[in-house]
Amino acid sequence: MVAPVKIEVDQLSVDFDGRFQLHNISWRLGPDEHWLVAGPNGAGKSALAAVLSGVGEITRGSITGVPARVALVSYEAQALLIDAELKKDDADILDVISEGTPVAEIIDQGTVDKALAAELIEQFGLTPLLTRAFRKLSTGETRKVMLVRALASKPDLLLLDEPFDGLDTHTHAMLLQHLHEVVRTTPTVIVLNRIDERPDFVTHIAWVEAGTVAQCVACHDTSAMALLDQLLHLKLGKIALPDPDPIDRLPALHATEPLVQITNASVKYADNVVFDGLSWTINAGEHWQLTGPNGSGKTCLLSLITGDHPQCYVNDIQVFGFQRGNGESIWEIKQFIGYVSTQLQWEYRVGTSLRNVIVSGFYDSIGLYTKPNDTQLAIANEWLAVLGMQHRADESFTQLSHGDKRLLLIARAMVKHPPLLILDEPCLGLDDMNRRLVLALIERISASGNTTVLYVNHHTEDKVIGIERQLALG
Amino acid sequence: MGTNYFNSLSLREQLEQLGECRFMHLDEFTDGVDALKGKKMVVIGCGAQGLNQGLNLRDSGLDVSYALREAAILEKRQSWKNATDNGFTVGTYEELIPTADIVLNLTPDKQHTAVVTAVMPMMKKGSCLSYSHGFNIVEEGMQVRDDITVIMVAPKCPGSEVRAEYVRGFGVPTLIAVHESNDPNGIGLTLAKAYAVGTGGHKAGVLMSSFVAEVKSDLMGEQTILCGMLQTGSLLCFDKMIEEGIDAGYAAKLIQYGWETVTEALKYGGVTNMMDRLSNPAKIRAFELAESMKDILRPLYHKHQDDIMTGHFSATMMADWANDDKELLGWRAETAETAFEKTAPGDVEISEQEYFDHGILMVAMVKAGVELAFETMTDAGIIADSAYYESLHETPLIANTIARKKLHEMNATISDTAEYGCYLYNHACVPLLADFMKPLKSDVIGKGLQLDDLGVDNARLIEVNAAIRYHPVEAIGSELRGYMADMKRIV
Ligand SMILES: NC(=O)c1ccc[n+]([C@@H]2O[C@H](COP(=O)([O-])OP(=O)(O)OC[C@H]3O[C@@H](n4cnc5c(N)ncnc54)[C@H](OP(=O)(O)O)[C@@H]3O)[C@@H](O)[C@H]2O)c1
Repeated sequence: MVAPVKIEVDQLSVDFDGRFQLHNISWRLGPDEHWLVAGPNGAGKSALAAVLSGVGEITRGSITGVPARVALVSYEAQALLIDAELKKDDADILDVISEGTPVAEIIDQGTVDKALAAELIEQFGLTPLLTRAFRKLSTGETRKVMLVRALASKPDLLLLDEPFDGLDTHTHAMLLQHLHEVVRTTPTVIVLNRIDERPDFVTHIAWVEAGTVAQCVACHDTSAMALLDQLLHLKLGKIALPDPDPIDRLPALHATEPLVQITNASVKYADNVVFDGLSWTINAGEHWQLTGPNGSGKTCLLSLITGDHPQCYVNDIQVFGFQRGNGESIWEIKQFIGYVSTQLQWEYRVGTSLRNVIVSGFYDSIGLYTKPNDTQLAIANEWLAVLGMQHRADESFTQLSHGDKRLLLIARAMVKHPPLLILDEPCLGLDDMNRRLVLALIERISASGNTTVLYVNHHTEDKVIGIERQLALG
Repeated sequence: MGTNYFNSLSLREQLEQLGECRFMHLDEFTDGVDALKGKKMVVIGCGAQGLNQGLNLRDSGLDVSYALREAAILEKRQSWKNATDNGFTVGTYEELIPTADIVLNLTPDKQHTAVVTAVMPMMKKGSCLSYSHGFNIVEEGMQVRDDITVIMVAPKCPGSEVRAEYVRGFGVPTLIAVHESNDPNGIGLTLAKAYAVGTGGHKAGVLMSSFVAEVKSDLMGEQTILCGMLQTGSLLCFDKMIEEGIDAGYAAKLIQYGWETVTEALKYGGVTNMMDRLSNPAKIRAFELAESMKDILRPLYHKHQDDIMTGHFSATMMADWANDDKELLGWRAETAETAFEKTAPGDVEISEQEYFDHGILMVAMVKAGVELAFETMTDAGIIADSAYYESLHETPLIANTIARKKLHEMNATISDTAEYGCYLYNHACVPLLADFMKPLKSDVIGKGLQLDDLGVDNARLIEVNAAIRYHPVEAIGSELRGYMADMKRIV
């Protein structure tokens, strides 16, 4: 029987010496649950595990139900112990050089089950090291000592932060086998960088992002797991964003000219004025966020840029070197723009394959009306791989979930590497997990080079990393 | 008013022009809109076609402005709003027509004689006059100044579709023609092609035809299968369901959305696919109902085509124009008072398949109407391609309008000419089908066959399938849909 631990973390914020903060964490660890804590680097995974072992200063909220005897294995805990050992040296007043605490003593300090300790020492191959000073060990050896010490202490809650890191395959397998024993009686929380390497006793996953628990997923919930896998793939995947079509490139733009220059624009109808006297310049490489309440004219302003608003012909608008209303066609403008919105998704009710949807981005069309060439098809396949959807290329677009559709439309918009990518409320109507997926993709795009991102959102606070400029309407 | 142009032709010329029709290939449009670049295009009228064609042409890089009649400007009518809200230059005939290189006459057909007569003296020497329907030239025999080139660019879709498809990066099938007695410089075809490109039509397929063939087939299609049959079908099916004790809300919904749903299947795979959506016993039943209806209605279809060919139809309608549209307005009011129009669709869930299963009679009506219209047109010398577009192809587009707001919406969207013809057909068709309708029960409309055993006789099924599949509308249909699929038209 697993000890009936029930930990409740409620709107918890924790400060770590001013160096790092976790904030607003709500999380429930029930009996019979073993958790995996996952998330991108620097998100706060290790900090979260440390909090359960009592590290950090609680600035808000509460945490209850943590048992008295908690064992934590982590690099930080390891470093602390080594630090303490080194300090002992410094503090030594005797003129004798200290050998430091031997490994045997370090292990013994916490041991509850001596027989188990002996067995583990043997299994981890620590016997020859027992008399060595702890601080003299290599990192890998120290790590093994920490593991043995934690396991032999028979804790009521076991916290393992990257426990397999640096272990050879043999030791890894041995530890894993042992953990299968341990989890029968001890609730365990494991921090791992790679979700796909999680041991099969893990029942739940806490996805940590930007200092908080962003998502909790039960492993038996297959659809939620699929989304999580996709998110990980996007966040941590090493696949580079595909190149544009090498032959059929977009015409080059003048390097110093702004992408968009709107001067003193107004949009008026017979009986209503949407906005008046609006000027805006978007230079290449300047990512913008456009905010404003509903009805403030955000979409209207965007459609002046894309050419979808008929009044673009009566305003002073320069886009991609074209002064609008001088005999340019709308397709000459659209070729420079990638565009995604809820409206587009609504209009894109096309029963075609996922691959074709991406290819249609080369033609700025809804549906595909031109026979694509092999390069275009190959590029579309690469994009599907970025999204983790390569095996679904021939599925029908109409059958996709909301969130997957949105991802696909973003890939469609990006396929030609447009100088300007317009994302009009790209997260609208998406649940949390899908929002995260979309934002992860946007972050990858805005970090990756030649596309200037224009991100529209009616919440000023909903920011995307890397987008600094802001225009607020209304 | 001039004399009927078609009737002034010799039989040889009539047959030649009726038979003029060729599907153009995409590579015939490589010059794009070049022939119209920098030219001043002035549209008269800013309604369904005027506004939407103008938006497309402007987005294709062309110079478009609107000449409206003075009253429309002064009273800021809808047409004025359409043009100004969309950022177009609007002016009077006097201001704009003399500057025009091409005048696009997109006013209602009924107004064409008055409008063309008014603007012709103001038009530049050597300019071009274009239409989207040939009624004025063919039926009214409008005589246009010799130096003016007269062309037609007729999208085979309502104006809203013309725009929607362009925005998606596609277009709608379009018919182009040059009026042979008005092509003084031989540039008519070049201009018509550039215009078709400007509206996006070239992507969906262009038929090069004649004014005569366009008018005679367009009138036939819209009066019979497209609008007439759907109107008659709606009224008869609704009344039958009420008589059979089916909930009125359900009946109204089954019809309002049923046409759209069953004809959607036509788009993908013609009559064959629509029939294949039924179970085997239901298919055989629908086939038999359609055969009976075809026998009953064949004389009516012939009469419509004959009246269109002789000019009797247009003369009758023009007489009504002269009589302040008495008939048209009367029929319109009558339609508004029908039980179907006045019953709101019920708040019931009807699945896509149920529209077929419970709408066997509707499917049969579509099949009968499409085939009869196609047969009658081709018998009259109209080329199959053209007959296909004017019958099967447009049926789902019109059905969509009924889904929006019933017959009212359909009759408001289509031209006055189509509306007049539709009522005319309906008046003759309802009594013709009375005896046929009498014994029918809710198994063919409203409830479905509800069979436990879906077994059918093999030989009979093969016979029925063959009859459906080998109908000539299916052959040309799969060929033309194939062209579209070539262009990866994905509906
Ligand atoms: N609807 C279709 O599905 C369709 C399809 C293909 C081709 N067509 C053809 O396209 C043409 C236009 O049809 P439509 O359906 O677009 O017509 P519509 O929607 O009724 O629009 C007609 C326009 O002409 C103006 N107008 C009416 N009477 C006028 C007059 N006496 N003088 C000047 N302007 C006048 C109207 O504005 P004001 O009343 O405000 O002046 C209105 O803007 C017709 O030849 C039709 O056969 C139609």
